[in-house]
Amino acid sequence: MVRAALATKRRIGQGPRPLAAFIPAMSVIAASLLAALPVVTTSGWFPDFGFLALISWRLLRSDPWPAWWAAPMGLVNDLFTGLPIGFSVALWTATMLALDLVDRRTMWRDYWIEWVLAAMLISIDEWLQWRVAAITGARVPLVAMAPPLVISICVFPLSAWLVSRIDHWRLGR
Amino acid sequence: MATARPGWSRRAQYGLFFSFLALIAGIIVGAILLALSILAPARFESVRGAALDITGPVAGGLHEVTATVEGVFTGAGNYWDAAGQNGQLRRERDQMRRQILQARAILQENRELKAVLQLREHQRDTIAVGRLVGSSLSSPRRFAILSVGSSDGVRIGMPVRSPNGLVGRVIDAGTIASRVLLVSDRANIVPARLLRGGIPVISQGRGDGTIDVRPLEVGRNPFRRGDIIITSGTGGLYPPLVPIARIVKLDDDGAVAMPLADPADTSFAIVEPPYEPAATAEESSP
Repeated sequence: MVRAALATKRRIGQGPRPLAAFIPAMSVIAASLLAALPVVTTSGWFPDFGFLALISWRLLRSDPWPAWWAAPMGLVNDLFTGLPIGFSVALWTATMLALDLVDRRTMWRDYWIEWVLAAMLISIDEWLQWRVAAITGARVPLVAMAPPLVISICVFPLSAWLVSRIDHWRLGR
Repeated sequence: MATARPGWSRRAQYGLFFSFLALIAGIIVGAILLALSILAPARFESVRGAALDITGPVAGGLHEVTATVEGVFTGAGNYWDAAGQNGQLRRERDQMRRQILQARAILQENRELKAVLQLREHQRDTIAVGRLVGSSLSSPRRFAILSVGSSDGVRIGMPVRSPNGLVGRVIDAGTIASRVLLVSDRANIVPARLLRGGIPVISQGRGDGTIDVRPLEVGRNPFRRGDIIITSGTGGLYPPLVPIARIVKLDDDGAVAMPLADPADTSFAIVEPPYEPAATAEESSP
């Protein structure tokens, strides 16, 4: 009773937005669509927006979407970013599985552990992109992947913050 | 799947197990798709084209906005220093006029010499003219999105150039947009030669916006800073005499060059038919 009295005053009619269950997945697809930005770069150092959004959501909550949704979302990302089709499908689904296993192992979580986890996942993503590019005939030196990797890792906190804001908004808090 | 065992409910346990199976299935399907798209890229041509048709116009529309905003600012900047710029432009124009007269005379002479040799003149026709509206943002590969597609006659494999130089070649064609493999991509190898002296060289992208050039004949490094690389027409895909890049740095047995047609500020790109269609058709048939 006392606790309820001390809580912030809830406004009447406040609650989850309509389609709240679909907003996380839609925001990941929207992030993938950022690849359609009218930016012509010669270096390709932008972060992989779709993947960043995916791991930000998954690290924030264990159930942003049913795990298998990662496969169709990956397909959308492949189609819009020009990656070979199937790359994100496999990688994103494997990421969901890996984070489920991590959830069972870790005793406690804080922001630094999440950032380290995200950095590892981003490194795996960049390394695999480099590998696949090498197989398809574009063997760039591995050093050339360092700047986009560092940029992506530095952008992750921003993406995590944005995702937590979207989560608050969608749950109507 | 946050916990190892979601309580005693059989239903919850089964749900957990099936979501695990779905994930494994997703990974396998993704791996198969990836293997297919590496080994047989032609299989996904139509799907990729359809996706391009969605992104192309979005990027194109946004591109108009950014171009307008940029234009306003650079336009204002030009007014700032109008008098000085005016004088400079006038000097440049006079110099150009002299050079054009010279070039006309050379062209005339060239035509007569070719007539004497009875060389067959290639007609260079334009398939389509489009704008570069986007590019791969986060990838070791260098692609750009071009605002014309198969409805304008663009086909996979056609060379793309701009007034400044070679841009690349088409690798995915949607109905109203297409994807271009830029000359700075690692997988794009262009037979070329030095404008000064005509020494045959090979140009290969470095994946970071620059190009590696190597001489075909090993030995002395023939490059100098500021040299221009042009296409040689060997191989039959790219037309000859299109400028590719300018050399900015020498290394042990070659040089690093910057593309002359910088895709970041190339406004128009021209799609041309393959230079020798017979040669490229033969190459792609097996």
